[in-house]
Amino acid sequence: MKLNYTSFSRFFKPAAALALLSALGALPAFGQFGPSASTNVSVSVGAEASIQITASSTPLTAGSGGAFSSYTGTTNFLFKIRTKNSGSITVRFSEFLPNTGPKIGTPASGDALTYDTVIPGGTAYSAQTASTTTDTIVGSFGTDARSVQAGNAGTVTWTLPNDPAYKADTYTANATFTISAT
Amino acid sequence: MEEQGLQVNHEVTSRTNSISEAWRRLLFGVLLACLVPAASAATATANQTLSVALGPIGKVAVVQSSVLLAHTGTIFADFTGSITVQYELRTTIASGSSSLTVKAGSEFSPATGPSIARGDLTYTCGGATIGAACSGSQIVGTGSQTSVITVGSGACTGTGCAGSNPDSAIVNLTLVDNPAFKTGTYSTNLIFSISAL
Repeated sequence: MKLNYTSFSRFFKPAAALALLSALGALPAFGQFGPSASTNVSVSVGAEASIQITASSTPLTAGSGGAFSSYTGTTNFLFKIRTKNSGSITVRFSEFLPNTGPKIGTPASGDALTYDTVIPGGTAYSAQTASTTTDTIVGSFGTDARSVQAGNAGTVTWTLPNDPAYKADTYTANATFTISAT
Repeated sequence: MEEQGLQVNHEVTSRTNSISEAWRRLLFGVLLACLVPAASAATATANQTLSVALGPIGKVAVVQSSVLLAHTGTIFADFTGSITVQYELRTTIASGSSSLTVKAGSEFSPATGPSIARGDLTYTCGGATIGAACSGSQIVGTGSQTSVITVGSGACTGTGCAGSNPDSAIVNLTLVDNPAFKTGTYSTNLIFSISAL
């Protein structure tokens, strides 16, 4: 029997179309019922940062270097950060109260409150002077900085000169840490 | 002449016979017409038993083609989102059961973010009016299917059944927001399957 193209095409074109329709029918289109169904789950992860001070207050205590040794103390904190471009941690103070002792905003010469930092996963800073009017740098981060899930542990060690001019009392100031990420 | 007369008589007789035959046929037709209505007025009954074997079956559909998990609450709070899964089922009366399960069809892509293998994606179940929803938080896996809804024997969805047709279940997804994830958009595919016995 001779099978010419016309008869072949006449038979197989409908057959192919039927097979294709059958195959499409076997695959349930979205929203249709079938033995299984699927959906896509996506999430957009952006730059984020958070910080937590682990202790409510940081006492500054006189050093063991003799009379009028500087007061020192360490503030511990945890920070979580994810950057796309950069990030930073800064601190700003309120003034010491009462006002008969050390001053952060307008300290006498040599009496400024200074600090050194430890920032795992970022850049630390030393000998920074605290301020009541500007945010001063504690740590900085570059592109694609990422902390661990529990948070990285950072520290700031404060140094406050012990000026005999300060009236004997207890003085308190508040430090506000801010972390940001872009 | 006699022959002619005979012929005439014969013609007359023959015509008479023809007319008589026509009357007989007409009479037969009338009688038959009278009999037909009488026959159609008769009634008869016959019984036929129809039977169908309805086996266990289950089908599932997902309402949302895609779900974007989003932040709620504080920074580094979990990403959350919900999926509505519809299902139709029928289980064998005595010993049947049905199970609606889910698994990830693939790992999150790209690979620098959340991970199915690490257990970053979990879910809770609710909303179903037939069957028992999964208990507590379940971890989505890529290899094994984990339970969403389990249904016992003799259950069906629809009119006269315990649940509406289709019945719906809500799957509440939770994705850890780990700072270690690199910024970007990540996606995976969840596959829901249903079986019925």
